[in-house]
Amino acid sequence: MRTIAIIPAYNEEKRIVATVASICPFVDGVIVVDDGSSDATAHAARVAGANVFIHALNRGQGAGLRTGTEAALKIGAECLVHIDADGQHDPSFIPAMLAPIRAREADIVLGSRFMGVHAVGMPFSRRMLHVAIRFFNVFAMGIPRRMTDPQSGMRAMTADAARRIPFTQDRMAHCSEILRLVTHSDLRWVEVPIRVRYTDASLAKGQKSRDALKIVWQLFLGAFK
Amino acid sequence: MKHMLIQFAFVLVLFAALFVTWRRAKQNVISRIEAFGWSVVWIAAIAVVLLPQTTTVVANFFGVGRGVDFIIYASVITLFFLVFKLFVAIDGFERKLTDLVRKDALKDLPPHQDSPDRDHPNEI
Repeated sequence: MRTIAIIPAYNEEKRIVATVASICPFVDGVIVVDDGSSDATAHAARVAGANVFIHALNRGQGAGLRTGTEAALKIGAECLVHIDADGQHDPSFIPAMLAPIRAREADIVLGSRFMGVHAVGMPFSRRMLHVAIRFFNVFAMGIPRRMTDPQSGMRAMTADAARRIPFTQDRMAHCSEILRLVTHSDLRWVEVPIRVRYTDASLAKGQKSRDALKIVWQLFLGAFK
Repeated sequence: MKHMLIQFAFVLVLFAALFVTWRRAKQNVISRIEAFGWSVVWIAAIAVVLLPQTTTVVANFFGVGRGVDFIIYASVITLFFLVFKLFVAIDGFERKLTDLVRKDALKDLPPHQDSPDRDHPNEI
């Protein structure tokens, strides 16, 4: 199966080369969507060997993922992997994520940080944020409680599954939106454990506790589109 | 006297609105039915300004003591609704902007059937 990794990146010139290099051994191609960066992210990603698409304006991680997904489908990907640009996702877990798809047991595989593999450096506030979002996902979005990770950015899917989850949330709310689309479709999904490594840099750019309210607001507005 | 002054100012503005509404109807900017609808609004507003006690009848119907209080409550609710409509409209423009940015980013790729179909999403 031709597998392409999609990495939305915003001002990641310092980390994108290492991220792309660490992912390349596990996939057949890498797409980086430079989401309106003001630094040399696009150039660095090209040097690292990625296929680069550039957003003229910053539109958010969800928008970048969707652009990358459309690009991957257009160039004939049979399997897609979404992964963050800051290197917090351990790419050595990609084969484990692809295994249920290759065995035709699942259409989409969601990486979970809460299935036994220790998340290095995850602060307590981040855990509490995930508890709150998971609570919201269950009661407001109708996402099954057995889904352990409400905001994982690492997922793998077949091309057919990618076509059938037309997520539209441009910013942080895309994770919850994707989970809702997946769990309300007849796609077969499964969670597998992944490892994340939080660093000061990734925490500085990542979600804050107050972002929970933003996510709720974005999803609420999205319901009126 | 203060009451009289503010009433005079409001009535003047409302008559101007009435005049502009029918002027626009004559210019075919809005339809006559639309102009009639707006005229009802302006005339009702003039009645409320000249006879403020009439609002108390409506207020009492909704369980509010004074007509002025009722107008303030209704105004706040209306403003909340309008602000929310603005948020939804801005969100719509943001999505269109994203579509445009995406189209530009992918312009060098050949068109292909295999893109996610936003027009036919899964049933939710």
